[in-house]
Amino acid sequence: MATTDQISQFADALAAAQGEFVELATWGEVWEFGASLSDYEPVVSPSAYAQLQRGILPDSNDPLRSIADRAVGITVATLAVAETGSVLLVEPAPIDRAVSLLTRHLIVAVRGADLVDNLADGFRWLARQPRAAAYATFVTGPSRTADIERSLTIGVQGPSRLSVAVIA
Amino acid sequence: MSASTAPFKTRYRRSVSDPDLRPRLLEFQRSWRESRDAQVRRLEQRRERSFDELRHDFAAVKDATLERLDDYLAEFRANAEAAGATVVELRTAADAVQYIAAVCKSRGIDLVVKSKSMVSEEIELNHELEQRNITAIETDLGEWLLQLAEERPSHLVMPAIHQKRQYVAEILGKELGEDFDPDDIPAMVASARGGLRRHYLAAGAGLTGANALIAESGSIMVVTNEGNMRLATSLPDVHFITAGIEKLIPTWADAERQLQLLPRSATAQTLSTYTTCITGAQPGKEMHIILLDNGRRAMRDHDVIGDALRCIRCGACANVCPPYQIVGGHTFGHIYTGAIGLVNTTFHHSLADAAGPQGLCVSCGACETVCPVAIPLPKQILEVRKRAHESGHAPIWERAALRLWARPRLLNSLFGIGAWASALARAIGLVRRDHLRLPLPKRLRWRSIPTLPLRSGQTLVRSRAPQSVIAPAPASGQTVDLFAQCLADRLMPSVVDSSARLIEAGGAAVNLPQDQHCCGLPAFDAGDWQTARRMARQTIEALESGDHQIVTPAPSCVIAMREHWPQLFADEPKWRERTAAVSGRVHDLAAWLDGDGRLPDDSLSGGERESWSAHRFCQASNRGDAGARIDLLVQRLTGESALPIEEPEVCCGFGGLTSMAAPEVGEGILDRKLDCVAQSGCETLLTNNPGCAIHLRAGAAARESRHDTLHYADFLAARLPKSRTP
Repeated sequence: MATTDQISQFADALAAAQGEFVELATWGEVWEFGASLSDYEPVVSPSAYAQLQRGILPDSNDPLRSIADRAVGITVATLAVAETGSVLLVEPAPIDRAVSLLTRHLIVAVRGADLVDNLADGFRWLARQPRAAAYATFVTGPSRTADIERSLTIGVQGPSRLSVAVIA
Repeated sequence: MSASTAPFKTRYRRSVSDPDLRPRLLEFQRSWRESRDAQVRRLEQRRERSFDELRHDFAAVKDATLERLDDYLAEFRANAEAAGATVVELRTAADAVQYIAAVCKSRGIDLVVKSKSMVSEEIELNHELEQRNITAIETDLGEWLLQLAEERPSHLVMPAIHQKRQYVAEILGKELGEDFDPDDIPAMVASARGGLRRHYLAAGAGLTGANALIAESGSIMVVTNEGNMRLATSLPDVHFITAGIEKLIPTWADAERQLQLLPRSATAQTLSTYTTCITGAQPGKEMHIILLDNGRRAMRDHDVIGDALRCIRCGACANVCPPYQIVGGHTFGHIYTGAIGLVNTTFHHSLADAAGPQGLCVSCGACETVCPVAIPLPKQILEVRKRAHESGHAPIWERAALRLWARPRLLNSLFGIGAWASALARAIGLVRRDHLRLPLPKRLRWRSIPTLPLRSGQTLVRSRAPQSVIAPAPASGQTVDLFAQCLADRLMPSVVDSSARLIEAGGAAVNLPQDQHCCGLPAFDAGDWQTARRMARQTIEALESGDHQIVTPAPSCVIAMREHWPQLFADEPKWRERTAAVSGRVHDLAAWLDGDGRLPDDSLSGGERESWSAHRFCQASNRGDAGARIDLLVQRLTGESALPIEEPEVCCGFGGLTSMAAPEVGEGILDRKLDCVAQSGCETLLTNNPGCAIHLRAGAAARESRHDTLHYADFLAARLPKSRTP
């Protein structure tokens, strides 16, 4: 289980990357939070659906087009890195990736037990999981660009808001 | 012809006539420096290792991989292919283009979406595909803006940093059919998002680069902030990866080591937003990994330039480069920009492509201090310059000037004439603050022409009685050879005399070896090794007899003797031995005054108190030389503290021949320096290299700055008890 120190380090690092830490303790609270953000039902990744048993799954025939620019999405991270505020999304198939790629506000839930100290721990885990490495992304904050006159702009191609909850 | 493909001279003129470029890049360099330094400090604390240790650790990984490149390539290929990827190793840019085009043709693909790939820039892929009726669309926002403007990246990481928001509003407006308010950058970004999205949906293939190729698993690792790479690899059915073979690393643990250094050095982030690792083709899709040589094996086998293959494309070398700040990447580089571009262009493109900007580098050495893989860039740039010079790329005036400098007798006659002319000018009121008031062409007006003194530094020393001893130093009673340095001797003779007096004040006698002139540094810097050798031989012959310690007020000459001479005479063992006989005895005056010629604390505390700041000679400072921090020496001897000054070790813009070959660069860097000096509020600016002192003084005279510029030897010697007159 994550220590309080680890969690506060994670929350600080996430904030430094323009992400937001949300204090939610259970899957139920994660759903409530997501549902409260929009009039539409959140879209959920297959891994989130397995926990929540609700929400709209991407269409398996055309997962990416089916949910492009939906307002709120929920997914589950395999682990989180306290030092950098990153979450590791393991998404081998396009249907796994659809929610984290294309929704405007992405909510990521990660279990406290899956919080590791630093990126080296994250890579050690990845090195032992060849299947996960098929398509794995450490996500640190929302999509951003500074390509126009170095002006930091959040939300260019991926989600413009990223909320992360460390749940029990 | 676009801004970045025109001939060098055209590019140079364009960039120096853009009034917005300098301030924008200055602001960028300063804010990057601040955030990057904070990131590096935090990293050092967390890892309990210095940046230098961390970067050498990872450099060692890269070196070991490059040494056994073929083994790691085989391992990578086997693992990637086992995971369903197709791996091809290709020798030339043309081979890579052919391969990609052939795959597209056979799959009926006519639209490719691209995430940022410097290798695709290197092989000019977009243009080549267009010739074959395949459209490539850049999806990184900056790269897309460049594509719309038909330009090349001007920075490795911030490709469109040269574009103004007004210009962006114009080109985006044209592409998207909207009217943009240039001040509403979020609105432009939001529209660009929509504009790019439709391309992902329509494309048959996605193309990305790779920041690392992980041999033990056959994975690629790509770092982005926007998320376009994930889109480009998720929507289309074919994924191309273009990467140089040097991107190989053995293990996942090495990938993490690279990540400790890359985002911090690139965008000063702890970690970029997306670090994506992909292993093999996804079910129902194709993955083609194109591993490109294009000069890399030849580069690896080069004894001086081989280390440049460690490069992880962070762009830090440009972010601290003073001339880059003045001209930007379209001029400072070719397709690869910044210091690394001055080096690797020779191998990926051509010596002719690399030759133009060579003269812009001021050899300050700042790039090497921040390079996360410790590439000895300054030394490599000098190597490329040598090749450019040998191939006839140096301007005629430069060759002539260096040959003249190598003939001390002729030079002395000319300086003699100049000195009389200066005296005449003074008599008729054409001199102000020791500089001539002459109408100069506009591009040279930022620096006044110094008057030439009638008596050389060596003459001044010979024509006075010895300085009285203030306190015996460890070298008291010895005789010390003084190397006057060619510039100081002729243009700032008081520096030579002051140096001699400071040595004598410690109880040593000063001897001026006959026929001393120039160590050869100006020619070496310009790549003219033949002339440099001639001057070095003259100096060795003048200094080699006897076993006196040798002291000089010019730290640049000490570096030249210790480091450049062995390079110059690498193939001449006898001369190499003779260089050692001299360079083993040579000391920079500042180090001498703290060492064998040490004067006691506060021993020069008398005299008029005036506020002073110090500009540390950049090259010595960036190398971490002990004598570079002259402010500490002056503080110790006078008991007076320096006024703080911003960027004390950033180059003043003299840079040997740079300020003559590229006056706008000399002017721009000097302006940056003099602004810092003015801001410090000091009455006197002290510096430690005669060339810099002359340059800073001439610039201050032209701008009519209120401060005075002195070599610290003059400042200190003015506080010595007066010499008895003979």
